[in-house]
Amino acid sequence: MARRGDRRRLALLLGPVTLFLGTCFIGPMAVMIVFSFLEPALYGGVEWSFYHLNYGRILGWADSEWESFDPVYAAIFLRSVRLALTNVVILLVICYPAALWVSGLSARWRTLLVFLTTLPFFVSLVVRLFIWVLILRPTGFLNSSLIGLGLISEPIDIIFTETAVLIGMAYVLLPFMFLPVYASVEKLDRSLIEASSDLGGSPLKTFFRVTLPLTLPGIAAGAVLVFIPSLGNFIVPDLLGGAKVLMIGNLIEQQFLSARNWPFGSALSVMIMVVMFVLIIFYLRQIGRQGANQ
Amino acid sequence: MRRTWVKRVLAVHGALFLLFIYAPIVMVVVYSFNSNPINMMIWSGFTFDWYWTIFGYPTQLNEQTLYVDSTDRLLAAVQNSLIVATSTTTISTVLGTMTALALYRYRFRAQRFYQGLLYMPMVMPDIVLGIALLVFFVSFGMALGLISIIIGHCTFLISYVFVVVSARLAGMDDTLEQASADLGANEWVTFRRITLPQILPGVIGGALLAFIISMDDLVITYFISGVDSTTLPVFIYGMLRRGVKPEINAIATIMLMLSFTIATLGLYFRRRH
Repeated sequence: MARRGDRRRLALLLGPVTLFLGTCFIGPMAVMIVFSFLEPALYGGVEWSFYHLNYGRILGWADSEWESFDPVYAAIFLRSVRLALTNVVILLVICYPAALWVSGLSARWRTLLVFLTTLPFFVSLVVRLFIWVLILRPTGFLNSSLIGLGLISEPIDIIFTETAVLIGMAYVLLPFMFLPVYASVEKLDRSLIEASSDLGGSPLKTFFRVTLPLTLPGIAAGAVLVFIPSLGNFIVPDLLGGAKVLMIGNLIEQQFLSARNWPFGSALSVMIMVVMFVLIIFYLRQIGRQGANQ
Repeated sequence: MRRTWVKRVLAVHGALFLLFIYAPIVMVVVYSFNSNPINMMIWSGFTFDWYWTIFGYPTQLNEQTLYVDSTDRLLAAVQNSLIVATSTTTISTVLGTMTALALYRYRFRAQRFYQGLLYMPMVMPDIVLGIALLVFFVSFGMALGLISIIIGHCTFLISYVFVVVSARLAGMDDTLEQASADLGANEWVTFRRITLPQILPGVIGGALLAFIISMDDLVITYFISGVDSTTLPVFIYGMLRRGVKPEINAIATIMLMLSFTIATLGLYFRRRH
């Protein structure tokens, strides 16, 4: 900016936010990264010396001796990735047809249904998960109903399984998949679909050759938006998975609140952050490439 | 023929989709009036007693499941949540709006950096931000309490307000501002009379969003709240971890109704403008 008055106004407008996010957002991130390279001391403290084995421990080497390979944490990390990916697939299967259905309705119904789909998002996360605890626990709604109907005699174990965790995560993260997918389905040029079927393409062929490729950006956005919070989730596995379905988020929580190994917990957090950055950079590059092609 | 068949399958799926979202909610509301104190999922009659219980009034039912001090602690948690939410809403609305104005109005070298900086807290997983803030506060010797929660919430709520206000600014009519300046109004008068009324729906929308998210935030608050600074979601989470009690049904129903009301009001407000 050339004019001096403009520069001053810009500084006034941006000064407070720069100061705040600089100290209270970038600062904490930096401190956490520093912590992840410190040596854990007894009773929850830290030694101020460089220590790389927090990361070694995640991969399976807890100390410098290479025989002690035990990838227990890597297994939890992989399980989290697997559950997060499964959740993305589940939500895609649930939300994509729903988005197709909504986009074919009249404008009035479309607005109403998009509103209804996002409304639960405004309800507290604890409340939404509490509802699923009520449904899935041994004396819960599902088991009481099934026993009441005489379909089963013993309650089935569904809470504290991966199934329960997946149901809970799908329920909590549904709008993050529905909204981007719906946005891309709605923008779809209907004449292309009609052209495909006029030219003799079966509905299935039209879907895989026309609809799906054109809505890929929405699917990608939804996948990233669902995958990131699924990976680091600890409330859902805590309430619906119990001690049996430990995810990376539970591991981090334990390091801070019971094990008191802050450097290791920080290293785990940094791992999640790295995965997130890689995903987002990859996503932005794909979107950029698509924009260049069009 | 085939296309109507596809449409029918999609409609059935859509109905199931809505059922998946709303059946659990309807269930919790209905069963919050269930008078069965032993198994809360077996219907044994209609009662308001769980609602009385959470507000600390003696009822026939709560003799069996009496919490001595939980009503006081619940009300303290509600109070904490309201203090945190109003403070963070105020701070993040002001800072978020200022940032949106700056990035909309001026072109400067660090613009892309600021855009990235503002999107980052929104995409950062909750647990990472919560841990980072905890480590930061503790290593700089800051006590965990309402202040730390307020700071923590502001780090990501500024971004939400920024995004909502920016969207509003993008659809704004610039010519009115130019006309105002041409007619000799100074910058401040132009802002108050022209710019602010135009972006106000966006600012209010952003503030409402910030308020709801702040009231609901569990993960970040969980890590940076002190012993006496429990907020409502953290309190309920603690209650849930200790075991499911029928009163939580009633609390959940009240919270559901409040969230639905605020969200509906927000939508109504946005559509009117």
